[in-house]
Amino acid sequence: MAVLCSLLSVYIVIKRLSLIGDGLAHTAYGGLAIGLAIGSVESILSNPFLVGGAIVIAGSIMITKAIRSARFSGDAAVAVFLELGLATGIFVTSVTRNYGFNLNALLFGSILLVTWTQIYATALVLALTIVTIFVLYKQLLYTIFNEVQASAAGIVTWKFDYLLAVLTGIAVIVSIPVVGILLTSALFVLPALTSLQIARSFKQTILMSPIFGLLSIILGILFSIIEPNAAPGGTIVLVGLTLLLATMVTRKITSLFKH
Amino acid sequence: MGLIGPNGAGKSTLLSVILGIVKPTAGYVRLFGKPISPQSLRKIGYVPQEPYSKDSNFPASVYETVLMGRIPYSRPFPWFGREDHRKVEEALKRLDIEDLKKRKIGELSGGQTQRVFTAKALVGEPELLIFDEPTSGVDSEAKKEFYSILEQLNRDFGITTILSIHDLGVVTKLARTIICINRTLYFDGLTTGFNPNVILPKVYNFAVEVIKHGDHP
Repeated sequence: MAVLCSLLSVYIVIKRLSLIGDGLAHTAYGGLAIGLAIGSVESILSNPFLVGGAIVIAGSIMITKAIRSARFSGDAAVAVFLELGLATGIFVTSVTRNYGFNLNALLFGSILLVTWTQIYATALVLALTIVTIFVLYKQLLYTIFNEVQASAAGIVTWKFDYLLAVLTGIAVIVSIPVVGILLTSALFVLPALTSLQIARSFKQTILMSPIFGLLSIILGILFSIIEPNAAPGGTIVLVGLTLLLATMVTRKITSLFKH
Repeated sequence: MGLIGPNGAGKSTLLSVILGIVKPTAGYVRLFGKPISPQSLRKIGYVPQEPYSKDSNFPASVYETVLMGRIPYSRPFPWFGREDHRKVEEALKRLDIEDLKKRKIGELSGGQTQRVFTAKALVGEPELLIFDEPTSGVDSEAKKEFYSILEQLNRDFGITTILSIHDLGVVTKLARTIICINRTLYFDGLTTGFNPNVILPKVYNFAVEVIKHGDHP
């Protein structure tokens, strides 16, 4: 999960869509609420994650579309969907009186109550994402580097832009139930930001990002075990932030040495 | 070939249409005699007006940036072949930026960035080079070096180059043919046949005084 989000976070941060993890997570909240509401009626769609997932992916695509139409900047588009999702979630939950929808679990996730299905789903999505990034590495690289030059080289850039949107959406919907909204949001930003501080090339960035992500999670969980009252979600993010700070300090120190 | 015209004349748009980035509303584009295709685009080295914006946080090294110019030639998967690397080294040497290889693209000056993107345009073994306002944001010393590099390339390889540019002095000195536009075509022909006193006032909509430097305007 850490690897999944960290990998995508590189593309996201570079594209200045840093809060899209958060935005889509809130969209997921709304989407899942709808999913649950529908679920109690139709048995085919009984898994709220299918409906919720579709809504999140649709949201991600629409955010990308809004940005490409040049009518919205990245942060504005994300904000709109964040609010849309949150409001929808609150509305649907209250109207259907579905208070069984555990807000706490959604906010913080339930790492310790992960089901095997969730693990398989995550592994599948991770594999899919890694393969996609691997095979289409150059096209994705060129597209996010400079769309104009990429188009001039013959790359159909909009396809890859939307591809990233879809991958992000899928990653969000598998992450939310396990690690919750806060952590999903953090994992989509911090690992990339951290590796951007010290990486000397894109290749380095994309290799370092998952390492920082994993490091945050492992250390965070360790700390929450040592200090029994500490919630793992909080500790993981705090470790992530500390790592970011550490890399920034390292960079400052090494640049001082150069002079 | 120099492409000139005032701001808003549609120079960048024209180039975009040539490259297939923008579809023409009328007429058609032929590259090397054929319709636009990935194969024909590969033969073009393109440097847009702002190839890299300073506030972008892209982590690519100079080497990686130039290497991207080889993307149209390489297979999927993240690796490049020996030929690709050789071409990059060659281009870096030719543009005299080998020492910048490992630097990050955002750390360079305007002139250095200019060379990096020229190198990137060159690694694809282009038959045609297109530069959109290549010397905006570049100091005059770097400008001179850039033009001498272009002349050298033209001599050594006979690569056709299209320069979209504001500096008329440079254009008349450097270019063999000129295209002058301001939403419509005003002139298309040899530089020797270009009479600025006649054409420019029409194009630029105000009285233009041509100052002669030496024996070229």
